[in-house]
Amino acid sequence: MFSKMAELLLDSNIRFWVFLPIIMITFLVGILRHYFSLIIASQKKVELLQVQDSQALVRSRLLRENGKFLPRQAFLMRRHFFNSEDMGYFKTQKRAAPTTNPMTDPNAMTDMLKGNVTNVLPMIIIGGWINWAFSGFVTTKVPFPLTLRFKPMLQRGVELVSLDASWVSSASWYFLNVFGLRSIYSLVLGENNAADQTKAMADQMSGAAMAMPQDPKAAFKAEWESLEIVQHQWALRNVEAELLGITSHSKTD
Amino acid sequence: MASKNKARVVEKNNGEVLAFSEGAIRNNAMVVEYCRTSMAALGGAAAGILGLTSLYGFVFYIFCAVAIWLLLLLKAGPHWQKYFTSRSSLLSSGLSGGLITYVLFWTFIYGMVHVY
Repeated sequence: MFSKMAELLLDSNIRFWVFLPIIMITFLVGILRHYFSLIIASQKKVELLQVQDSQALVRSRLLRENGKFLPRQAFLMRRHFFNSEDMGYFKTQKRAAPTTNPMTDPNAMTDMLKGNVTNVLPMIIIGGWINWAFSGFVTTKVPFPLTLRFKPMLQRGVELVSLDASWVSSASWYFLNVFGLRSIYSLVLGENNAADQTKAMADQMSGAAMAMPQDPKAAFKAEWESLEIVQHQWALRNVEAELLGITSHSKTD
Repeated sequence: MASKNKARVVEKNNGEVLAFSEGAIRNNAMVVEYCRTSMAALGGAAAGILGLTSLYGFVFYIFCAVAIWLLLLLKAGPHWQKYFTSRSSLLSSGLSGGLITYVLFWTFIYGMVHVY
């Protein structure tokens, strides 16, 4: 069945004037968007208090994870610094709950706007333009058979009932490129580039695009709890013996 | 990043404690990711030029992924534990990671060479 369908003959001008331009446009627009977002990116202002909080949280987490390399006395001392009932850091530092609405914060608003300008707007404009300029072409065929379910996904703009599902229309070829080129962007532009719009889109769908100003009060409480239940077990108990080769590393608990 | 050079500690089941640098692990993962993307793109292009269709193309992809895995292990040498935490996850993440890129390049080159 598959070999029979391969007989469809396409004008080779489509290759040079539709198929190739779409992949070039998608790729170059991604590169442009990366540099454009570099231009308009603003340095994030951090407040001193926020840095202090997050550093305290990091230190506490390090203590939880690597505390077994400390002697018991030292571990307890550090935990006391954070968790002591009357003078512990997590107990005494009272942080106000953050302002709830990000809409009222002008900085967050500008960042959101910039994100939309660099991510969503080109997507709509280029997608619309490609739909308009290259509409209605059957561009290529995926080299593997697909079921009929894929027809609406791969043949947008070409409503032919009898066409095999593995033929791809121009609009769908654009979307294939948008999703397929993201790892190429990270190869060309380096990690964490702005051209990777699919990640931003996924963020928007889950509603996590605006990084909510984290609530230090809740974070302190959670960290206090998890630090409170840590059992200290010294990992280096018989390290001298091991160094001298007297015992092999055996668990001595 | 605050936790850039944090040491991560893993306790193995025989009670041995391993500590390794988070930043170095992340850097290694990034380099492996670059290798993998290149592999997917080149492999896809090769499959397209060869005109592989349907199952043969996917078999070729698996072949490429295993080949890049073996090459990485060859590069890491006998002390691969210094660079990667797990050999099998290196292969499995490699299999899933480059598939979209591979299919895109395969379709692209196959279309350029064989369809028209």
